[in-house]
Amino acid sequence: MTETTFSSAAPRSESAGAVAGIWAWLMRHPPAFTLILIVAVSLVVGAINTDFWQVSNLFDILRASVVRGLFALGVLVVLASGGIDVSFTAIAAFVMYAVTMLVVNVVPDMPIVAILALGAVGGACFGGLNGVLVHALKAPSLIVTIGTQYVIRSFLLTFVGTALFMNVPAAMDAFGKLALFTHHSANGSTSTLPAFVLILAVASFVTWWILERTLIGRAVYAVGGNAGVAERLGYNLRTVRIFVFAYAGLLAGIAGIIHVSSNRLANPFDLAGAELEIIAAVVLGGARITGGSGSVIGTLLGVVLITLVSNVLILVGIPSTWQLVIVGIFIILAGAIFSIRGRQS
Amino acid sequence: MPDFRKLAACTVALSTIWGAAAATAEEKPSIVTVVKVTGENWFTRMAEGVAAYGNDNDTVATSQIGPGKADAAQQARLIEDLVAKKVSAIAVVPMDASSLEGVLKRAAQRGIKVVTHEADSMKNTLVDIEAFENKAFGARFNEKIAECMGKSGKWTSFVGSLGSLTHVQWADGGAENAKKYPEMELVSEKNESFNDANRAYEKAREILRKYPDIKGFQGGSAIDVIGIGRAVEEAGLQDKTCVFGIGLPKDTGSYLESGAVDGISFWDPKDAGYVMNKVADMVIKGEEIKDGMDLGVPGYEKVSVKKGAGDGIIVVGEAWVDVDKSNYGKYPF
Repeated sequence: MTETTFSSAAPRSESAGAVAGIWAWLMRHPPAFTLILIVAVSLVVGAINTDFWQVSNLFDILRASVVRGLFALGVLVVLASGGIDVSFTAIAAFVMYAVTMLVVNVVPDMPIVAILALGAVGGACFGGLNGVLVHALKAPSLIVTIGTQYVIRSFLLTFVGTALFMNVPAAMDAFGKLALFTHHSANGSTSTLPAFVLILAVASFVTWWILERTLIGRAVYAVGGNAGVAERLGYNLRTVRIFVFAYAGLLAGIAGIIHVSSNRLANPFDLAGAELEIIAAVVLGGARITGGSGSVIGTLLGVVLITLVSNVLILVGIPSTWQLVIVGIFIILAGAIFSIRGRQS
Repeated sequence: MPDFRKLAACTVALSTIWGAAAATAEEKPSIVTVVKVTGENWFTRMAEGVAAYGNDNDTVATSQIGPGKADAAQQARLIEDLVAKKVSAIAVVPMDASSLEGVLKRAAQRGIKVVTHEADSMKNTLVDIEAFENKAFGARFNEKIAECMGKSGKWTSFVGSLGSLTHVQWADGGAENAKKYPEMELVSEKNESFNDANRAYEKAREILRKYPDIKGFQGGSAIDVIGIGRAVEEAGLQDKTCVFGIGLPKDTGSYLESGAVDGISFWDPKDAGYVMNKVADMVIKGEEIKDGMDLGVPGYEKVSVKKGAGDGIIVVGEAWVDVDKSNYGKYPF
């Protein structure tokens, strides 16, 4: 009797152990959750409409992920340091519009590398200002960046310009059209993977390297974990804060230039209101909103997830009136899964 | 502390300047035009008409304001401010008509004359001015699309947002007209672009993927055709698709040249701005607007007047302009 009980109990505890093991592994690797969600969404959408499995769809999702991805990497670094930034879309809008106007009116044949550098420097200056303000005023970074967002946007619309700018510089136009791959589908239409996806790849690597392999990266996580303790350990809070916001600004500046290049027009009203979607992507990628954690790979997966969901609704056949509802519900559901994970670990 | 005092001093100085500016503007009746969003070329052109009416008539002061982004709540807040300042008349181009009913009612209660444009369902307005019958305008687009695509095949429509009544009416007017042609099939209608060319582009790409044989696109917001045009151009489908919609010649020019956009229609926002201010001025003076009247502006020489949704009236002109590759250069905006 005892023997049979024993033998039947053993495999059960073994399988339970396996489940617990997988669960524990998932705890330690939050991006895996994001990946599972991406696969699940793809399978469901692909089952509803087989047109999902097309090269052009992959290209479009990658293309739409670039600007979001650059923003998200900046947000990741700020979040990891325990802060939050909502001014990056305003910085990007300002930089993209001002740089486009400057290049067209002053140096029309500036090469794209110089334009990108100009955007990066401009963005970093605005971001650095955010960092200085957050540190000097000792105010919550949410409040400070809401403030700078309004100031930057109003300044742009009041003093720089408000009109749609159709004649983007030739270098930007060419950069936006530059293709890494061109795919010709059976029905004669073509789709291209733009070369600017490489910028996101480079930015991701640099961000990973900074966070994982440098002293300042260590300082960012330390400050995000507990600023008081980090300060007593000898980390300079001022340097860390200025660095994270300047870095977020730098990426936002580059993102702005790419937005204009791919859109072939500069509209100072673009990008407004995208902040929350980006922050949602970073959090869905496993970063904690309270700081001290988050990874580059998770963030990229979070961005792909958000882009995926907003790029398949027509394909699935959801009427226009319901699309925002679906995106909202999805964010809540995905967020809930992460919150369960947070409570158990 | 000294920092705080400096800040306070700045605030006081700023508000003094603001107050002085407001005081000088109060002397003659003031008409303020509130547009959907500041800075789009469309409303920049409208501002020219608003300024022109002020220059032609020195008995009134005219000005134009609008929110920094196309947002109904921000527009409502701007109007709240105008009600508090008690201007003589407000001319509004609503982002979302129903969300402004409350604040415009309060304006009327304070004796402010309210006129609107592109909002024929609005209750709290004395006069709503329409450049043309909206359903007829939508039907015009559809007629062009139908002709271009040989009266058969799939087509779709875009709107700036589902809250933009005129855009929805154009889309519906188009759909109504397409019923004449049983072989035309409307798919995934009223896609929202949120007045962002990039969103319009992404949605157009997705539609092209789901319906690779789609032939017709009807744009709603003035920059929809730009985004759709880019998607069509990149897919190399210029010759296989028909893209028509509202747009401005200068913004859409390059896509008209490449054939990605086949034709655009618009009404001159400068004339609309001028007419709104003219009508507001007439209302302030207590003059009546009669059926068949000539308002002295092209397209509004013989307006028709009908009863509005509330106690007010709707004035309808025939002020549309159609352009294509051959003649867009004639319009410098």
